[in-house]
Amino acid sequence: MLDELEIQATSGEAVLRQRLGNLRALLVISLLMTESVEEEQILQLASSSAPGLGHWRIEGYAFGDGAVGETSWRPGTNGGSPRAPTGLAAQLTDLGGTAGPVDLPGRVWASAFPLRSVTGLLGYLIASSDEPPSTDENFLIQVVAQQTGVAVSNARLHAQERATAAELVATNAALEETVSTLQRSMRIHDRLTKVAVSAEGQPGIAKALHELTGMPVAIEDRHGNLRAWGGPGQPEPYPKESFARREQLLRRLIREGKPVRDGARLTMLASPRPDVLGVLSLIDPERAADTADLIALEHGATVLSMELARVRGIADTELRLRRDLVHDLLSGTDDESAYLRSDALEHDLRQPHRVIVIEGRGRTRNEDLLLHAVRRTVRDHRLSFLLDSWSGAVVLLTAGEMNWEQLRTSILTELGGGQCRLGVGGLSARPSELPRSLREAQLALRLQQTVISGTGACEYSKLGVFRMLAAIPNLSEVDSFVREWLGTLIDYDIAKHAELVKTLTQYLEHGGNYDATALTLSVHRSTLKYRLQRIRELTGLELNDPDVHFNLQLATRAWTTVEAMRH
Amino acid sequence: MIESVPTGIRELKLFPGDHVCAFYRGSGDRDEVLMPYLRTGITSGDKCICIVDSANTAEQVKMLDPDDGVHGHQQLDVHIPETSYLAGGGFSREEMLGFWTDHLNAAADDGYPFSRLVGEMTWALRDAPGVEDLVLYEAELNRVAPKYPTVVLCLYDLDRFTGEVIVSIVKTHPKVLIRGMVVENPYYVEPDEFLRYAEA
Repeated sequence: MLDELEIQATSGEAVLRQRLGNLRALLVISLLMTESVEEEQILQLASSSAPGLGHWRIEGYAFGDGAVGETSWRPGTNGGSPRAPTGLAAQLTDLGGTAGPVDLPGRVWASAFPLRSVTGLLGYLIASSDEPPSTDENFLIQVVAQQTGVAVSNARLHAQERATAAELVATNAALEETVSTLQRSMRIHDRLTKVAVSAEGQPGIAKALHELTGMPVAIEDRHGNLRAWGGPGQPEPYPKESFARREQLLRRLIREGKPVRDGARLTMLASPRPDVLGVLSLIDPERAADTADLIALEHGATVLSMELARVRGIADTELRLRRDLVHDLLSGTDDESAYLRSDALEHDLRQPHRVIVIEGRGRTRNEDLLLHAVRRTVRDHRLSFLLDSWSGAVVLLTAGEMNWEQLRTSILTELGGGQCRLGVGGLSARPSELPRSLREAQLALRLQQTVISGTGACEYSKLGVFRMLAAIPNLSEVDSFVREWLGTLIDYDIAKHAELVKTLTQYLEHGGNYDATALTLSVHRSTLKYRLQRIRELTGLELNDPDVHFNLQLATRAWTTVEAMRH
Repeated sequence: MIESVPTGIRELKLFPGDHVCAFYRGSGDRDEVLMPYLRTGITSGDKCICIVDSANTAEQVKMLDPDDGVHGHQQLDVHIPETSYLAGGGFSREEMLGFWTDHLNAAADDGYPFSRLVGEMTWALRDAPGVEDLVLYEAELNRVAPKYPTVVLCLYDLDRFTGEVIVSIVKTHPKVLIRGMVVENPYYVEPDEFLRYAEA
C-alpha cells in the first residue's frame, strides 16, 4: 500500500514536472518567436514545435479576420493542410473571433484558436489531433496561438517600421543625389558663365569643360577641323573623317538636339543660326559620363553657341562696315572721314589705291560666287584690299601692284573655269579720287568690249589715245570733231538702224584687213565690202588717203571714247 | 561555496557542472557566443575543448590558441564532428560521453583545474546513423557534467533545427542561453526519467 502511494506520489510529481517542463519549453519558444522579425519564421517555429508539446499538430493559419481564401492560408508543417480546408471560412466567421471547434475532413478533432494582436484579430491557428486533447494540451495550444499572434503582430509592425525606414533612407539618398546634382550643376553653370563673359573664346570653353568633367574636350568646326582642345591626349595630327560621314553626323546632331554618342565621344551641336555651326565633344572611351557630365556638355554647347554667335556677329559687322566704306569711297567721300573709317577697320587707305572692276560672263555672272572667288584669290596673292559688289560686277580697291592678267587667270582658276573681264583704273593718291579710278576701270572695260580686241585684263593707263581723249574735260570740241568726220554716217545709222560707224571703226582698227574686220563684225566679206562702198558714197571720202585715214581713225576713236564715257 | 565561472558572454556567469544549451541564428550570432566563451577560458587558464561543424571554423577558432600552453600542453583542443561526434562514421552516445570524460580526465592530469567544453550541434542534422539519439545524449550529459570541474555549452542554430527539437532540447537542459539571457529550467527532465520515457 505504501509502495503504491509512493508510486502515485512519484508519478504525480513527474506529470507536474512534465507540465512545467512543457511550459518552460513554451516560454523559450515564445522568446524565440518574439525576437524573430520574419513572419514565416514565426509560423514555422510554432507549427514545428507542436509535436514536442503534445499529440497535436497545427494544420495551418487562416489570416484576414476569418475571410479565408487561398492567399490568406498558411499551411503548418508536419502534415498540415496545404490548402484552406473546404468550408472553413464560413465556420471561422461564425466563431466571431473566439476559439471553437471546426470540422475538418479526416480529422477526429479540430479547433480554431484566435491569433490576436493589440489592434485586433489577425486570424486563426487551426489545430487538429487524432484524439481529443487533454485539458493541459488544450491550454498549451491556446498559449501557442496567443504567443504566435503577438509575435506575428510584432513582426508586422517591425516590417512596417523597416519599410518606413527603408523608404526614408531611399528618400534621403534621392534627396542627397538631387542636392549633389544641383550643386554640381551650379558649379557647372558658374564656371561656364565665367568663361562666357570673360571672352576666353573656344580654348577657354574647352579648358573649362575639361576641368568640370575630367575628360578631354574637342571643339570642331562644321568640317571637322579642330578649333580648340581641352585636357591631355590631343591627337597629332588631328584625324579628319570623310565628308559623307561628317554630314551624316551633323544631320543626326541636328535631328536629336541633345548629346549623341558617337563611338568614343559624347557629342553635341552648337548652332546659334543655320549658317553657323560648331561641334563640342567629350572624349569618353570608357563611357563613364554621368548625368552631371551631360549637363556640363549641354551647358558648354550653349556657351559655345553664344561664342560662335559673338564671333560671327563681329565678322558680320566688320563686313557691313567694309561694304559701306567701299560704297562711299566709290560714290565719293571726303578724305578725313574715309581715313577714320578705314583706320577703324585696320585698312591703310593712306597709300595710293586703284579700283579694279571684275565682270563675270556666263556662269561666272553669279555675283556671290564671283565675290568669294575674288576674295580668296586676292588673299592668296597677299594684297591688302577692300571689296564688294557694284552694279552687277565686283569692285576691288587695292594699294597693291601685280600682273593684273595673272590676277584674272587666278580668279578663273578659283572659279574652276569660265570667263571674266577685268578693268583696272588708275592710281588715286587720295580716297576722294577713287570715283575717278572707278570710272577709268569701267571705261577700260567698255572700250575693251567695243574696240579693243581680246579678253585679258584691260588697264586704263595703257589705253593710249583713248586715255588722252577721255581726259579732255570739255567734250563739245570732241563732239564737233566727230560730227565733222562721222556726222553723215551717224545720222545714217540712226535713220536706217545700220552699223556703218562701227564697221568703219573696226576696219580702221584692223589696218584695212578685210578678213579680220569681217570676223570681228561677224559679217561676210562681201557684206563688209558693200558697207565700205556705201561709206565712200555717203562721205565722198577716199579711205586710202593718209590724211583722211588719220582723221577718220581719230574721229572713230573719239566717238568710241565719248560713247563709252556716256554709258 | 561554489565559485561562479565568467562566460565572457556579456556579464553572464555559470557554475561548475552547468550544462547549457545556447540558441543562435547563423554563424555571426554563433561567433558572438563561441569566441568570447573560449577567449575568456584561455585567459582564465581553463582547458578548452571545442567541437565546431567545419574545418574552416576550426581554423578560425585555433587562432585563439596561444603558442605555448600554461602547462606545456595545448590549452585549446579544437575538433570537428569527424573526429568527435561522428568518429567512426556514426553517432554513439556512449562513445561520445567517453570522449568527454577522457578529455576531462586528461585535462585534470595535465594540471588544468577547470575545463570548459563547447559543441556546435549542427552535426545532428546530417544523414548519419545514431543522430536520432541526440536528445538522449543531451539528457545523459546532464549526469556527466556535475561530476567534473567544467561547464558545457551546446550550440543550436535556430535557422536549422525544428521547433520540435528545440522543445526537446529545452526540456533536457537545466539552463538555456538566448540572446545573452539565461533562462533557468528547474523542471528539466532528469536523465533517468527521460531515458525511462524514451526507452518505454
